[in-house]
Amino acid sequence: MFDAFIQGLFVVLQWKAFLMMLLGIFLGFWVGLLPGLGGSTTLALMLPFIYKMTPEEAFAFLLGMHSVVSTTGDITSVLFGVPGEGTTAATIVDGHAMAKKGEAGRALGAALMSSLVGAVIGALALALSIPVVRPLVLTFGAPELFMLAVVGIAFISSLSGQGGRSLLRGVLAGLLGLLFAMVGEDPQAGVQRFTLGQLYLWGGLDLVPVLVGLFAIPEIVDLAVRGTSIASDLPKGDLGKGVWEGIKDTFRHFWLTVRCSLLGTFIGIMPGLGGGVAQWIAYGHAVQGARSDEERKGFGKGDVRGVLGPGAANNSKEGGALIPTIAFGVPGSSAMAILLGAFFLQGIMPGPDMLNKYVTLTFSMVWTLVIANIITVAASLLFLAQLARLTLVRGSILIPFILFLAFIGSYTSNNHLGDLLVFLFFGGLGYLMVVCGWPRSPLVLGFVLGKIAENNFYISTIRYGSAWLLRPVVLVLVILTVAVIVYPLLPFRRTSAPAGRA
Amino acid sequence: MIRFKLAVFSLLFLLSPVFSQAAEFSGKTLTIVVGYKPGGGYDRYARLLGKHLPRYIPGNPTIVIQNMPGANSIISANHLYSVAKPDGLTIGTFNNALVVAQLIKVEGVRYDIAKFSWIGSVASDAVILALRSDLPYRTAEDLRRAKEIIIGTTGPGSSTHDFPSLLKEFAGINLKLVPGYSSSSDIMLAIERKEVDGRAGSYDSIIPFIDRGLVRPVLRNRLSVPGIEKLPVDEELATTPKGKAVMAINAAPTAIYRPYVAPPGTPADTMKVLRDAFAKVTMDRELLAEAKKTKMGIDYTPAEQVLKVIHEVLNQPPEITKELSKYIKFGD
Repeated sequence: MFDAFIQGLFVVLQWKAFLMMLLGIFLGFWVGLLPGLGGSTTLALMLPFIYKMTPEEAFAFLLGMHSVVSTTGDITSVLFGVPGEGTTAATIVDGHAMAKKGEAGRALGAALMSSLVGAVIGALALALSIPVVRPLVLTFGAPELFMLAVVGIAFISSLSGQGGRSLLRGVLAGLLGLLFAMVGEDPQAGVQRFTLGQLYLWGGLDLVPVLVGLFAIPEIVDLAVRGTSIASDLPKGDLGKGVWEGIKDTFRHFWLTVRCSLLGTFIGIMPGLGGGVAQWIAYGHAVQGARSDEERKGFGKGDVRGVLGPGAANNSKEGGALIPTIAFGVPGSSAMAILLGAFFLQGIMPGPDMLNKYVTLTFSMVWTLVIANIITVAASLLFLAQLARLTLVRGSILIPFILFLAFIGSYTSNNHLGDLLVFLFFGGLGYLMVVCGWPRSPLVLGFVLGKIAENNFYISTIRYGSAWLLRPVVLVLVILTVAVIVYPLLPFRRTSAPAGRA
Repeated sequence: MIRFKLAVFSLLFLLSPVFSQAAEFSGKTLTIVVGYKPGGGYDRYARLLGKHLPRYIPGNPTIVIQNMPGANSIISANHLYSVAKPDGLTIGTFNNALVVAQLIKVEGVRYDIAKFSWIGSVASDAVILALRSDLPYRTAEDLRRAKEIIIGTTGPGSSTHDFPSLLKEFAGINLKLVPGYSSSSDIMLAIERKEVDGRAGSYDSIIPFIDRGLVRPVLRNRLSVPGIEKLPVDEELATTPKGKAVMAINAAPTAIYRPYVAPPGTPADTMKVLRDAFAKVTMDRELLAEAKKTKMGIDYTPAEQVLKVIHEVLNQPPEITKELSKYIKFGD
């Protein structure tokens, strides 16, 4: 096995495969930066080009591209408050807030470094879990997936802010998110819910226009109202220095980064949980780390831990998502479903073969994930100081550009006018929520988990009656849910906070 | 000199039919509208065709794929029907069951499927029911005697759901449907962990799992493809003529699995060019080699035959239509 592990490295380092990977990275770099281009769409478009490549080159190319998309997507999220990818929206909450405080460099450094740590841990998990992956995935049936979604929804408790009033608002926002998740045709009886007679809404609301609207529009309005640059009143020249600070932050909160990476990997392994989920649960977990009221209030206003958590998780989930694809031929996300097509195209049948006959190829994929991210982070670091200066550009120059990106980004999800209406609607809603002091993260959490919870609850009940409630893993997850809800409410945490920490 | 000019003119005149046809597409862009997002089956077929078609169309137009997802491709069908220009530069592909959607009068349908300028269908596909190999069900008789067989589905309006629900209703097989899985590969995983006993779906998509020994095919619809000819057919198991008729309608669209149309009113000579191109490209050796590698079956059905299937489905007595709409929903 170890031989194959080393051989996998050499496979990636062969000049042709390496060149293909560089090409993939170059493409992925831009795809991530631009909100309009999604990672999975680009994968689908690139598929015809691998026809004449060897499997090693093909996967170096495709994975090289795919694995850096979440890394550079974080950059757009931090700088402009527009999610570069659907999977990098959670980085906005604290990352963009930091940019507004003039800490764009630090936020970017933290986002990139945590992405790298996440990618490495995800890849390691992929390498290590290869022998045990089958029992692990098979343990999680519909009841367990339902409970996982519930655990995720329970994070609303820590995302809501302190006090009864804030908690109530958080819960209501979460419920609203669940309600938005119900839009579209329900898969049980084929009934149309909240579709308002519009064909467009049959398939439900798309993640990208909802997120872009919710986060980008309030920022754009804010920027226009302030009439300054994103980082308004700052001594120039400090921006770039922060990058190193951000990298150090990753290691200052190293355990948090590792924990969020593992969370991301685990969510990636679970098929059907989807790419949007990992970042938000990781964000919720990062907020949980706050030791006092004071610290809690800092989240959403630019706490670097709020960048590290999702930054790590949205990269580590890629390694995780490869696991079911390789071991079962069952894709863990839409991007992986397209990658599965690439396997067929190369005449490879994913499944047990990947662990013996093609084990070198499998390990070469692990290495691609690691090397591609190292290269991307290194390349980005060269530009970061320059990129951070974008936050000093006058708002009136920047706004048309950001608006353009936001509109294009929303429109490309279905190429339908409805995308723009959804974008504007959620923009208005997001703005109202910001003005009235309602938290947006619980709404997103409810939205991304709603359908998963509903479908798996239904499957569990139809299949097992009420017996599923007593399955051991379900019971463990119930306890975990209670812990997640109660933990931020415990009174001792408020008093025992060490003084002076912020 | 004049004579020379005349000769040139008359030569041009004689050649003009050849030229005009070529001119129609040369330097132009032909758009294939796909009713789904990139990466799915409909999209992959369109991109495969888009790569090889230009060689078979005089003038070698550039081909681009335009994804227009939504409402299980009704949006794209409506667009092709009433917005796209009938000049041969826009063609499209959508769900093969849109004919059924029209029959049962699904809200939002703004097209008359029989009025499209049909190009044909580039594939057909059998729908099968496959059950876990470790279960003791092999024959139709075994199925009838079974106490309960649990079938995972992605929800009404897909073959994973409709095919078994008709078997349950009209063939007296005790199936318990569990809808809500997010994709058919998700159901495969549920089969693997024994949450469900099996699933229905296109034969193509299940082959890898049959080869791996996870599931075994037990039933098919009326469409036969090599390898499953001997399986019992659902219609033979129907206990009433009404049930048999409903199953037949449900099966019909699978014969036109990947349909291609041009907007209604596209000129006849343009249609001839397109139809010829499709007929030829589906025999192209390069295309077939590529399709085989990516596990996409190619089986061209010309326009006339597609229309026959469509009229067959649409000409139903009202009571059958009513019965059908009780069990078949069309959705996303």
